[in-house]
Amino acid sequence: MNKRSTTIYWTGFSVILALLIVAPLVLSEFWSRFLTEILIWGLLAMSSDILIGYTGMVSFGHSAFFGLGMYGAAAALLMVRPPNLWLAIVYGLIGSAGIALFVAYFSTRLRDIYFAITTLIFSQIFYVIIFTWTDLTGGENGLTFSRPALGIPGLFSVPFSSETLHWFVLAVVTASYLILRRITQSPFGMVLQSIRENEGRTRAIGYAVERYKIVAVMLSGLFAGLAGVLYAIQNRFAAPDFVYFLVSGETVIFNVMGGIGTLVGPIVGAAFFLLLRETFSRFFTEFYLIPVGAIFIAMVIFMPQGLLGFMRRWLNQ
Amino acid sequence: MTPVLEFLQAIPYDQILIQTVNGIVTGMILALIASGLTLIFGIMDVVNFAHGELFMFGAYMGVVVLAATGSFWLALLLATLIVALIGAALQITTLRPLIGRDPLTTILATFGISLVMQNYALWQFGPVARKIQEPFTGQFTLFYLEYPWYRVLIAGLSAAIIGAFWLFLKYGTYGIWIRATTQDRVMAEAMGIPVSWVYTTVFAIGAGMAAASGVLFGPLVGVNHAMGLDWVLKAFIVVVVGGMGNLGGSIAASIFISLLEAYASIWVSPAQAVIVSFVVLILTLLFRPTGLFVPTPK
Amino acid sequence: MSLDPTPMEPLVAVEDVHTYYGKSHILHGVSLHVDRGEVVGLLGRNGVGKSTTLKTIMGLVHPNRGKVLFAGKLVTGLPAHKLARLGIGYVPEDRRIFRLLTVMENLRTGLDRHGITEARKQELLDKAFTYFPVLAERRNQAGGTLSGGEQQMLAIARAMMLEPKIILLDEPTEGLMPRMVSQIREIIEVLHREGVAILLVEQNVPLTLEASQRIYIMEKGAVRHHCAASELKVDDAVVHQYLGV
Repeated sequence: MNKRSTTIYWTGFSVILALLIVAPLVLSEFWSRFLTEILIWGLLAMSSDILIGYTGMVSFGHSAFFGLGMYGAAAALLMVRPPNLWLAIVYGLIGSAGIALFVAYFSTRLRDIYFAITTLIFSQIFYVIIFTWTDLTGGENGLTFSRPALGIPGLFSVPFSSETLHWFVLAVVTASYLILRRITQSPFGMVLQSIRENEGRTRAIGYAVERYKIVAVMLSGLFAGLAGVLYAIQNRFAAPDFVYFLVSGETVIFNVMGGIGTLVGPIVGAAFFLLLRETFSRFFTEFYLIPVGAIFIAMVIFMPQGLLGFMRRWLNQ
Repeated sequence: MTPVLEFLQAIPYDQILIQTVNGIVTGMILALIASGLTLIFGIMDVVNFAHGELFMFGAYMGVVVLAATGSFWLALLLATLIVALIGAALQITTLRPLIGRDPLTTILATFGISLVMQNYALWQFGPVARKIQEPFTGQFTLFYLEYPWYRVLIAGLSAAIIGAFWLFLKYGTYGIWIRATTQDRVMAEAMGIPVSWVYTTVFAIGAGMAAASGVLFGPLVGVNHAMGLDWVLKAFIVVVVGGMGNLGGSIAASIFISLLEAYASIWVSPAQAVIVSFVVLILTLLFRPTGLFVPTPK
Repeated sequence: MSLDPTPMEPLVAVEDVHTYYGKSHILHGVSLHVDRGEVVGLLGRNGVGKSTTLKTIMGLVHPNRGKVLFAGKLVTGLPAHKLARLGIGYVPEDRRIFRLLTVMENLRTGLDRHGITEARKQELLDKAFTYFPVLAERRNQAGGTLSGGEQQMLAIARAMMLEPKIILLDEPTEGLMPRMVSQIREIIEVLHREGVAILLVEQNVPLTLEASQRIYIMEKGAVRHHCAASELKVDDAVVHQYLGV
């Protein structure tokens, strides 16, 4: 990046961040909660972009990582008294990382659609286990728990308000974005991108492609799990519906709608999808997926670069 | 010797036999769904995520036609034809523009189609499951069970449809076109075969076969908007285990996996028995990624 | 038939064709023509765009600029299967027979089309089996189990099933034993006598000069030299300059 575009980038970044910080103070309760949700789904979408956009592997199993993050957080919040926010995050990350290692070990031996199908099947295995192991997971009904307080042990502790929850989520998502951005620009990220461009050549140069892929899947799963923890804290429940593969499908939709390989794109995609859902729900009630699905199909065909890629090209003209 | 004897005596032979019959019946239905899926993949590299919804639509068309005409057989025939036409329309509008792009884009597009179709069905027919009345209700005695003849008939009919389709592929002019296109799309085109219409036809045939299995299977379970989901996942497993694009392999894998699941459900709940097929898939992918039922490539 | 060319029109005419593969510019304005019943040789070193020229005529790749005419009719941009129906047969460099189809099924891909009677189908089959008796013996064998030379014969026989007015032959003798090469040479002669035009791409210069009436020589994606085959036979300098032999 040259100096000028760096300046533009950080200016844009600061402006958007500032707007997101101010948002809950000016928006109504409904819209500010909506915005928080966009950030959480955006984080999930961004995590999957590491695989789709940067490594060229389409995961159809991100619901497993997201769901395990939720159930991990639930475990911490239900077992440890008093409920501790940081412990919930640690448990959620351990849960999702464990699953991610397992999935990565098997699925990275496969490529393209085989990878997609394998990740899909793996997420369904976890879905079936969670759905049927009622004693531990609450089965179909899931688990409910109370929200932990925001605090640092020994220093302070305040209950979450909707503003502080928003800021907390914003802080986590922003930090995740900066970390992921740093990673994608690091030598490691360059290897991932060269795997996407030409796996055979990358291997021929001497990189252990499989090991890089495993780390990529784990990294992706870790951040997906983090999104799951945030969602659990926001909604105070963990449910098998969120391990079901439709959530994975939506994650891929966010990526494609926003534009893969950009990190920001998937967040834009999540925002766009949730806005579409909100708009069409008013006319189609719960059948909003009829028009939204049609829009998605049209975007796959006519706008393969996604919204961000489309806008970028349009601006360049 | 006694533990072995005890073990052998503890095996519920009657249940095993019943589950064998059950496994074969579901296996044939699954084979009918999966053969369309594998053919669509084999010929045009399309992973059809909407295949389960075509199955579901077939069942609903069966419900509608049955209610209007009272004839199960007419319902089977019309549902197959209508869904085949829907399949052709879907292929022309959404998949044809994606020819030549990454096969992964077809997963995305068909995933979108499946969302639309599922919610359309929910909107049109509501959440309450519909019932298809079986064409006859005769039963025969299988140990302590009264086993319905209709289930046996399903297996037979599925086998007949698959068999007819196989003969068509083997001897029919268009069957030869389809096989030629599967092997070498460019050369088929150069031999005067209209490849893009072959694609449309294959998609329509696959859709029709899925619809037929939906109508046949309807009487065994309720017809609802989400019924395709479980089947499409199972069909994916079968297609991978049988070797992508390999018709015979898919049929063998359908029966193999359905039998395993049927046996497993003697001991665990059917929901957990699904894990057996997941495990088969994972083992296949690890040790024979080209499929269990294909000869080792030289 | 309305498609029959008037005596003045060439059967196939390629006019200033530019073809790209992605971003790489392969053909830089190729022009050539083939008259009815004429055998034309297309020579040049590897990678100068001979095969791409054939693929462009066949409609397998579409030119970005320039025209392809068949019997005076503009056919640029038509899909390959329509060109095959118009009467262009294609025998690609690597033969590309359908390996899992039997010999008979391979032939049927070109034979089963509208407007052809059963009697005519049988006639075409008989003719192919007379030219290539070995194919008759192996009619129920999978194409992939044939030897290289047999596959080449099958590829030519398959193209003949279309009753083409022209056959595009891409390196038919590549990798074949001498006995097979002379058989290919004979079949070109037979097709020529029957009035089928041939555009022949070959590395075997003597065979090409002998079989063809006219010769085009390509270099770097364009035609550099054009003359009668008889002229080239006595002009070693040109052959040496472009082909290095």
